[in-house]
Amino acid sequence: MFPKGSRLVVVVLIVIGVIAWSSLFVVKETEQVVVTQLGRPVGEPITQAGLHFKLPLIQKANFFEKRVLKWDGNPNQIPTKDKKYIWVDSTARWRIKDPLLFLMRVGNVPTALSRLDGIIDAVVRDHVSNNFLEELVRSEGWEDAKAKLLEAGVQEFQLLLESVEGTETGETLFAPVIKGREKITREMVADASRLVPEFGIELLDIRIKRINYVDSVQEKVFERMVSERKRIAAQYRSEGEGERAAILGEMERELAKISSEAFRTSQEIRGRADATATQIYANTFGRDPEFYQFYRSLEFYQGFNNPRSTFVLSSDADLFRYLGSIQGNTRGASGQRPASEP
Amino acid sequence: MKRLKGRFSLPSLGRGPFWGLALLVVAALIGFTSYYTVQPEETAVVLRFGKFVRTAGAGLHFKIPFGVEDVTKVITGRVLQREYGYRTVSPGVRTRFAEKGYEEESRMLSGDLNVIDIQWTVQYMIKNPVDYLFQLHDVEGTLDDISESVMRRIVGNRFADEVLTIGRASIADLAGREIQEIMDTYRTGLQIVVVKLQNANPPDAVKAAFNEVNEARQEKERMINEAQQVYNERIPRARGQARQMITQAEGYALQRVNRAEGDVTRFASILEEYRKAPDVTRRRMYLESMPQFIEKVDRIIVLDESGPGVLPLLNLGSGGLAGWSAGEDTGAAAGRPAEEK
Repeated sequence: MFPKGSRLVVVVLIVIGVIAWSSLFVVKETEQVVVTQLGRPVGEPITQAGLHFKLPLIQKANFFEKRVLKWDGNPNQIPTKDKKYIWVDSTARWRIKDPLLFLMRVGNVPTALSRLDGIIDAVVRDHVSNNFLEELVRSEGWEDAKAKLLEAGVQEFQLLLESVEGTETGETLFAPVIKGREKITREMVADASRLVPEFGIELLDIRIKRINYVDSVQEKVFERMVSERKRIAAQYRSEGEGERAAILGEMERELAKISSEAFRTSQEIRGRADATATQIYANTFGRDPEFYQFYRSLEFYQGFNNPRSTFVLSSDADLFRYLGSIQGNTRGASGQRPASEP
Repeated sequence: MKRLKGRFSLPSLGRGPFWGLALLVVAALIGFTSYYTVQPEETAVVLRFGKFVRTAGAGLHFKIPFGVEDVTKVITGRVLQREYGYRTVSPGVRTRFAEKGYEEESRMLSGDLNVIDIQWTVQYMIKNPVDYLFQLHDVEGTLDDISESVMRRIVGNRFADEVLTIGRASIADLAGREIQEIMDTYRTGLQIVVVKLQNANPPDAVKAAFNEVNEARQEKERMINEAQQVYNERIPRARGQARQMITQAEGYALQRVNRAEGDVTRFASILEEYRKAPDVTRRRMYLESMPQFIEKVDRIIVLDESGPGVLPLLNLGSGGLAGWSAGEDTGAAAGRPAEEK
């Protein structure tokens, strides 16, 4: 068994251990600490990680998050300046800048988040209601979007452009951005930042995570999109029909041109040839027209070829004259009357 | 309790062995808590009393036990991934995706206030494990928020037509850079490897109409092609026919002129001879050609101008031999050759 003295030593050691344990505390890299003595803050907040001391029993270490924290808003249904109802889901980043003040005003992160709810929600609501939907959606550089699409030659976009040109829709569609999304969110941050320092909080950023139409509006938007596309489709179809008609018309014209030109040319050629031939005949036959007549008549007789024809001759035709008497008649072939009877 | 006490005070055990056992236990505890191993894809971050002291790479390492040094391992070697607007259900060669139920993430407004569904992926690595652990609470959650916010900003600054067609690559690229910038300002320690758009579609309710536009465009092309086909079928043929017409005419012209020249040459030759002896030649030519002619006709009727009229001599309706008649006083023999036919 232990002697009485040694038992006392063990007790003393345990007590010292407990005191030492309660006077040392570890601060992690992700934490910062405010030490309070009987409820009253003592000294500067500890932001350095490592092993730290405090008075046991009467001093208490209050731990706070040192990292940047997230705030996530509830999606809110908010009307914009142009009375379009939209869901806005925003998010923010913040951190505990002054843990002492934070301890005094809010105490812990969940309470802080609920305070931020009130502040950020209100700020977001104000700014959304003060701006047009286009301004919330678009941001700097929107003006380039049109040029880029035109340059790329997206056909549907060109059709869209033609259809809205000069209309009110067209004006809002290509209106330059006045503020734009970044500037509006920067304004939100600036506004909200003025309200949070009294909580010991620093607001780093507010972002619009999602913007969407409320369901009933979305239906209408879908209908609009459908009608827009249908219009484009109709245009394509009628363009196709138009092009087809144009091509076929062009073809008809071309056909008429080709065949008529060919006819003209061929007639010209024939005509020229006929003229040449006529000239040739005239030149030569003109040397003795009487003999030519005779010669042609004989050629006709020689060339005549119709085995079923009946030929009527006058009895004073040259033929009979030659047959009848030796004396010829140079009167010519005028007495002959060729005729054919089918 | 009494029995337990009794057991510890067993005289056979004595004091020595008890302390020995205790020391052994303590030594074992020290042994087991003073080393750690790090896998190849990990980086270990070592904290001493909560304060960051060092990082350690893959392998076996030692640390001060009893919670003095604490080790957190961060996967720094892997490319990690977040998905938006869809989730991978089971990865594999043919990965299955779930798309239903994530419309809230994928649905966004374009600059012309149309609604588009976009699914995208962000691949990232933890570049700086110290920043990753100590700068920001819930780094992944922040990445999600920033990713959604950035993607919506970019899409909101473009026309739906651009997002759905030519803009995909540039949108992904820009989103990657912008997310990286914001991650850097928050010192999240993340490095964005790549942002990829998976699907960029109009919402289901509108999809059919978008497809209709595509179909209409195809239809337009088809109509043009068909018309062009008819054109191509008929125009070259017509051109060929036109050429044919012209060459025929040219042929005719050649023939006409050549024949004329031939005729004329022949006539000229005959004329030359005829002039030497006109009467004889004329008679000869006449007599030469008549028999040939008579051979070629069915019959010849000879009318005597001083005789009766035509009608009595015509023997209509009868062919052949019976049809032959001639004036009595002239040589009926002239008709003979014809009669023989």
